[in-house]
Order: sequence, then structure tokens, then C-alpha cells
Amino acid sequence: MISKRFVIKRLLLLVPVLFGVATFVFAILHLAPGDPARVIAGQRASEEFVRQVRTELGLNDPIWVQYGRFLLEAVQLEFGNSYQIQKGTPVKQILRYKLPVTLEMALYGQFLGILFGIPVGLLGAIKQDAISDHVTRIGALAGISVPIYWSGPLLILLFAQVLGWFPASGRIASTFDINPITGVITFDTLVRGNFAAFESAAMHLFLPAAVIGIYSMALISRMMRSSMLEVIRQDYMRTARAKGQGSKITILKHGFRNALIPVVTVIGIQFGTLLGGAVLTETVFGIAGIGTLLVSAIQVGDYPVVQGTVLMFAGLFTLVNLLVDVTYSYLDPRIEQ
Amino acid sequence: MRSGDSTDSDYSPRGEEASGGDRTRDDSPTPRERARQLGRALLLGAMLAAIAVPILVASGESVRFASEKVFAVGALVFGFSLLGWSGSVFAGRGMENFQRHIGGRSDWSEADSRRAMTVLGSVGVGGMLGASLATMVVGSVV
Repeated sequence: MISKRFVIKRLLLLVPVLFGVATFVFAILHLAPGDPARVIAGQRASEEFVRQVRTELGLNDPIWVQYGRFLLEAVQLEFGNSYQIQKGTPVKQILRYKLPVTLEMALYGQFLGILFGIPVGLLGAIKQDAISDHVTRIGALAGISVPIYWSGPLLILLFAQVLGWFPASGRIASTFDINPITGVITFDTLVRGNFAAFESAAMHLFLPAAVIGIYSMALISRMMRSSMLEVIRQDYMRTARAKGQGSKITILKHGFRNALIPVVTVIGIQFGTLLGGAVLTETVFGIAGIGTLLVSAIQVGDYPVVQGTVLMFAGLFTLVNLLVDVTYSYLDPRIEQ
Repeated sequence: MRSGDSTDSDYSPRGEEASGGDRTRDDSPTPRERARQLGRALLLGAMLAAIAVPILVASGESVRFASEKVFAVGALVFGFSLLGWSGSVFAGRGMENFQRHIGGRSDWSEADSRRAMTVLGSVGVGGMLGASLATMVVGSVV
């Protein structure tokens, strides 16, 4: 049983992490060259107009005032309005529409990675040095080594161009007009009972999720294999077998849970990497998610959008890690101590 | 002793108390020493910032620019130290256990890491305060 004290302690630790990230982002944006007021006003705007914009945005205030204001607003999850990307729209609103797009892609990718990675790793450990082990090992190494910007176009070329099984880009066919409920399109289409739209969304999602899943599966299967190999050699496994328990039951009942601990770590860290790597996947598959939003915001100096997006990434990452910690203590209660 | 036995005892709370706990307790500075250390770090950051702002202004930059950049550098150090501190608290014990498990002797400990990050954070906060004060002074002169 996971104690409340453990979870509360972990939750409290999120405060300095988010405070640190907020300060870090604020500092980096103010150290970066470029004047957001100039970006908003345009390169040909008069100096007077730029000054007026600067005053309106509060950029003329002393920097410690700006820092205090930023922290106060960040605590209330208010990041102000976008300067440039969607002029005047609250950042919170922009994130609300963009986040589900990236989350959906990352979650399906991670799901595929776990679905295939764990059994493949387990098989590799049980049948160590057999042909199946060599094949999965080479497959995993290839999956880790091939970057998304290479595997993405290759999959598009094969499955979209040559075979024509899946669409190359976008989230859903343009013939469907879906009113978003959560923003997670596969969920929304199902809730609305539009199965044709669901099929289209799932087909659109498959290739990006597969690209993410291949990388994730490779890492998970490698970790599962090595962790399981270590567990198999433990005394308690030998004892269980000596007592007459079948090897399959020994592995699944005693070994699997213990071998999962490092795998859970990898899944947690991997999720953060997936969010960060969303930029590449979204660019390759033409999906307007949070990754592409962040890159555009950095390019045009849209401070509020950058700050909001990075803080949200940090918040998500730390929450996933909290989940990993809680899972740890479920898998091995000694960790809580 | 078998390797499995040693691992189990190393992970137990009593094992930690006996090996890591005592050493940390002996080495830890008193609250007064700690406050002095932090004060010194704060002062160092403030002095560095107070020197940097007029230097930047003297080199032809505006007071606003100098203030922003020096304050941001201080904030960067402070933000880094906050992340380092929470990282130490989050994973420090695990790192110590892992180190003991593999028989490493790097002398790294969670408490030392936290202390180092606190000192670094004080330098950052000092820098932010120093930049603010220096801006007021330099701004009133220029």
C-alpha cells in the first residue's frame, strides 16, 4: 500500500522543481537577443510605436518587477496573451487546444512501445542467445539508432506513398468536421459515435505513433531483457524452481514484477523525451501540436507562449515521474523507506 | 558473504543509518556556520552583480540592458541551483544506495549536494539583489 506521506512529500517537491524551471526559462528568455516589442510592432515600425508596445506589455518595468509578476501569474497558471503566434489569445487557451494533440500522439506511441517492448524483452531473456533473441536484439539496436527524422520519412515513403495504406500527414480526413470535446480526436470521435471519423483519425495517427513506438519499444525491450536476465539469476528464482514450480510461472509470478522496476524508470524518462521529441514527429507528419508551437514561439520571440509551454512540459514531466515513483513503491515497497 | 546478502542489508533503512547517516551527521556544519556560509555566498553574488552593472554601462550599454542581463544571469544560477537541489532531494538517496551497491568511493552524498546547491542558489539570489540595487544606484547617477 502506498502511503499518503510518500505521495505528499513527492508532490511538495514539485514546487521547487517548477519554481526552478520558471526562473530558468525567465532568465534564458531575457538573456536571448531580440526585442519582443520590435517583433510585435514590425521591423518598419517607428521607435515611438515600439516604445508604446513595450509599455503596454510591461517590458519597460524593472526586470525584478517583471520577474515577480511572471511568478505570480505562473502560480495562477496565467501566462498572459500571445504576442505573435495567435495575437491576443490567452496562452492558456492555446495550450488547451494544442496539448491534447501532442499527448495523444505520445500516449499511443508509448502504448505501442510498451505493448511490444515488454514481451520482446521478456522473450529475449527467456530464450537467451537463441535466434529469436539475436533478431530482437538487432531490431532493438536498429530502433534506438535510427532517428525519428529518418524513420518517419521512410515509413511515409513505404506505407503512404508505395503501399498507400496510411495517410502521410494530418490528424483526420478533411471531409470530417468534428467539434472537439477533449481535443483527443480518437476519443472525441468515439464519444460522438462517428466511427468513420474514428477510423480516419486512427489511420492518421498510426504512422506518427509507430515512429515514436519503434524508438520506445527498442529501449523498453533492451531494458526488460537485461533486467530479466539479472532477476533470473537471483537465489529466490532458483529456490522457486527447486521447489518444483514451473519455469514459466516462476518467471511471470516472481521474476516479472521485480524486473519491471528499471523498465518503469525508462518508461517515465522516455515519456519526457517523447514530449521533447514531439517537435520532430510533428514536423515530419505535419501535425500542429505543442512541439511545433514551441519552435514557432521561440523563432518569433513570443515570450508568454514559450514560458507557458516550457512550464507545462516541466509540470507534465515531473508528474509522470511522480507516477513512476508511486509505481516503484507499489512494485517494491522497500523503496518507500 | 554472498552478494545477495550484502545488497539486502545495504538497502535496509538500518543499513543506511549505520553507514551513511553517522558520517553525514559528523560532517554537517552547525546552523551558525551554515548561515555564515550562505551569507558569504549571497554577498559574493551581490558584489559580482554590483560590479558587472556599472562595467556594462561604462562599456556603452544602457542601464536597462545591463540590469536585465545581470539580473537574468543571477536568475539563471538561482534556477539551476533550485533544480539541482530538488534533483538531489528526489534522487539523492537512490544515488547514494547505488554508489554503495556498486562499491564506488566518490564521496558524493545527498546532503553535500544539497548544501552545494544552497550555496550556489545564494550566489544567484545575491546576484539578483545586487543587480537590482546597482541598477537603482547607477540609474540615479547616469
